[in-house]
Amino acid sequence: MKVLLADQNPERSRALEARLAAVPGLALCRPDPAEPLAEAVARLGPEVVIVDIARPDRDGLEHIRRAYAEEPRPIVMFVDADDPGFMAQAIAAGVCSYNVVGAALPDVRPIVHAAVAIFQRFRGMEEELRRAERALAERAAIAAAKACLMRTRGIGEADAYRWLRRRAMDRGRRIGEVAAELLADLGLGEEAGGRKR
Amino acid sequence: MSRMIRIGLLRLTDAAPVLAGQALGLFEEQGVPVRLSIEPSWANLADKLAVGLLEGAVMLPALAIATALGRRGPAAPLLVPAGISLGGNALTLAPDLAEEIGAGPADPMALGARLRRVLALRRRPPPAIAVVHRCSTHHLLLRYWLAASGIDPDAAIRLTVIPPAEMGAALASRRIEGFCAGAPWGGMAEAAGAGRTVLATGAIWRNHPEKCLALRADWAAEAPQTVHRLLRALLRAGRICDDPAEAPALARLLARADALDLPEAAIRASLPLAGADPDPLRSTFAAHAASFPWRSQALWFLAEMGRAGLLADTPAARAATRALYRPDLHAAAAAAEGLPVPRADTKPEGAQRTNWLLPADPNPIPMRPDAFCDGRVFEFA
Repeated sequence: MKVLLADQNPERSRALEARLAAVPGLALCRPDPAEPLAEAVARLGPEVVIVDIARPDRDGLEHIRRAYAEEPRPIVMFVDADDPGFMAQAIAAGVCSYNVVGAALPDVRPIVHAAVAIFQRFRGMEEELRRAERALAERAAIAAAKACLMRTRGIGEADAYRWLRRRAMDRGRRIGEVAAELLADLGLGEEAGGRKR
Repeated sequence: MSRMIRIGLLRLTDAAPVLAGQALGLFEEQGVPVRLSIEPSWANLADKLAVGLLEGAVMLPALAIATALGRRGPAAPLLVPAGISLGGNALTLAPDLAEEIGAGPADPMALGARLRRVLALRRRPPPAIAVVHRCSTHHLLLRYWLAASGIDPDAAIRLTVIPPAEMGAALASRRIEGFCAGAPWGGMAEAAGAGRTVLATGAIWRNHPEKCLALRADWAAEAPQTVHRLLRALLRAGRICDDPAEAPALARLLARADALDLPEAAIRASLPLAGADPDPLRSTFAAHAASFPWRSQALWFLAEMGRAGLLADTPAARAATRALYRPDLHAAAAAAEGLPVPRADTKPEGAQRTNWLLPADPNPIPMRPDAFCDGRVFEFA
């Protein structure tokens, strides 16, 4: 497992590095000096990102938000002072394991593994949500396109379906896509969009 | 809005009717929106169906029977109201083994005789041949052919189980020397130079039933109208998938990343083709009563699983297997679609060597041969 260790707290970061180096099967990498986090993640492709910051730092959060948006990865954060407001923002930015630690480091291995598991579960839920949204949008577009065809061509529901299906087959596309394109071509895209909400 | 019906499938060409039904709005039109769930292996699919994470699945008939009888985990009440496809599986061997056997477009018995000689003279350990699941059409037909060729399936080869999508890589890395899987995996291994297809399972049992629709019995009992509409949509989808004129568009639709995510050409090569004689490497979805759930075929799967030692083919198991198949549900949907309904729910399996007419109402159904490679006719009680 490749782990990117990005630190702003050199002292604890060295201790973290020593701990992580002792974990078998774990490869550590670091950003180049002054390299933004998002670029280091894109360049190195780590499976887990550990961010070790000295104190709650809202600029640091910006980097995390960008890195997460561009290349979602499990992000583990170590901070040395508790700040509930900051924690909420960090988690919203994409951190999936927030740890307040002092000079004595806890065993980091289970923390890293738990972060990966939480991240995977969360990504699964996100994917599920996106699929559900897509399915709803597709159904709304089909219903709107069907209604529009029935109205403008004076045909029944079965014929409207047949028309859309023929066009989908001719174009090798899903019926939902064909319906959305038809609505857009007719300048009715908003109609289906409105139903989506 | 009604709740979406979750249907599981594997990345195989013969999942076409459910994929087309969803992509083309056939389920939606019947008011039974379906959500598809692509599973990595047959074991995953059967587990999800058994624990209620899916309402239905495109299933291997033998696996549906074993799952319903509780022969893999606790018994999960299921019903099989329709067939999905006929044929489409292939035995693909490593090029050197295929070369050794002198494989070509041959009669399965002649090929079996050559394989028997090669295995008898082989110095290396028996070849590892992978099937997609122990309770699969692939496994049972492969055993049938080996046994008919005088080869002991348990001694002369080492049978292993690998999910279809991993077959090509396993063959290329020589972890196995051959595999029997559904399309397009054999064709893809061949295109990659990793193997050669030497036999279609459709040559072992001509026009054999391949996939079926399995539904959770508790869910189906609560929603009989939904099941009826689902079957009607599937019958329509099967006819679209069977139409050679639609094959190019269908292949494009199935190849997409949100469907099978496989090369279009490989899918196209396993979809029905216009012509008199169906290619056993291609699937049939609607013609020749492909969607009818024959109880005699269910009993064949049970008997062959018994012969392979996977379960006991007892009178109780036979009764449960008959009850699992629901030709009555299929008949109601077919009649509502104006399609002919067979007059019987069993037929002598293996009796037909040429094209024939199946008695059905309102008119008979043109059928293809259903002979076994050894010429036997399956007797069931």
